[in-house]
Amino acid sequence: MSIFTSMGQAESRRRADQLAASLAQMGVPCKVEPRAALAVLMVESGVAQRLADGELRRAALALAREQGFTHLAVELAPPADGADATLPRP
Amino acid sequence: MAASVVDDLEQRASGKEEALSAWLRARRRVAIGFSGGVDSAYLAVLARRTLGADNVLAIIGRSASYPAEQWATARRVADSFDVMVLELDTDEMNDPRYAANPANRCYFCKTELWGKLVPAAAERGFATVIDGTNADDVGGYRPGMQAAEENAVASPLAEVGFTKEEIRARSRALGLPTWQQPASPCLSSRVPYGTSVTPERLRLIERAERAVRDLGVAGDMRVRYHDDVARVELTPAELSAWLHPRRAEALRAAVTAAGFSRVALDLRGFRSGSLNVLHGVTTA
Repeated sequence: MSIFTSMGQAESRRRADQLAASLAQMGVPCKVEPRAALAVLMVESGVAQRLADGELRRAALALAREQGFTHLAVELAPPADGADATLPRP
Repeated sequence: MAASVVDDLEQRASGKEEALSAWLRARRRVAIGFSGGVDSAYLAVLARRTLGADNVLAIIGRSASYPAEQWATARRVADSFDVMVLELDTDEMNDPRYAANPANRCYFCKTELWGKLVPAAAERGFATVIDGTNADDVGGYRPGMQAAEENAVASPLAEVGFTKEEIRARSRALGLPTWQQPASPCLSSRVPYGTSVTPERLRLIERAERAVRDLGVAGDMRVRYHDDVARVELTPAELSAWLHPRRAEALRAAVTAAGFSRVALDLRGFRSGSLNVLHGVTTA
């Protein structure tokens, strides 16, 4: 069973905050929303792109695992400046 | 892939195909639980080639959890390879044990499927019913396999030791369009255990996955349902590109247009059985 099935909300929140602090130290400032064993990162515009770096992503996943999260996802926030969503063409 | 490795794969797969043909010939007539996925498509086409058109019946079980696109593939394969098809409606969504979405949800779905399919096959003179379970499936967490056993449904691909890679190799050799098709389990597999499965939620997931495909995502992909959040899993090879701000916004816009209010990109990427891991049913 996932450790989160028996964990209280306060403990889940504490782990999420700990993960957010560790990620900030790595250059990924964020808030973490815990949803059972899934951690959803909420980041400012432009921060998600940093996670395109595979090494940084692997480090973030390792930090999430340390806190008991089996899944880590970054929320795609709407652009603050209203930039269009046209895909770059090859 | 190095030439010798490809040769080994081809040789191994061809040997297993001979064993599978012999298995089929010994049964003379077979009905197949047919989804149009990689495994059942190969099995249906090989059975058709081995036993002839009148001795093979591919049966499709249709319900809200079966993607429309998958149905279209199934029909296309059957038409192209002259495989006789029967379609049945299944009603697992009205089984409260299924809709509650426990970890063994697949057992209730397959019980409904085989409970309708096996008698329908028997009525048409098909005493042997088979499915597309392959050797890679055996040993994983698959409660649906228990229902197959209880209904005496055989799994010849698994019996002769066919792996997914080998099935793809032989599918390619036979000219099947499914040879490089991503795996496509039922839509309910996108809903975490304990969150009820409803036709509306499945349609939402299907729309969102279609929207992601329309953006050009080609590899394995899932949109997992977490209430208001869609968690999108892409292959590691595709993941980095979709974190580019413009692509990320296109992805967000497409999935929200499909009906989700929030979109998150999974940072590990696609993994089969992801929600089993989330709930501690299996380990990462």
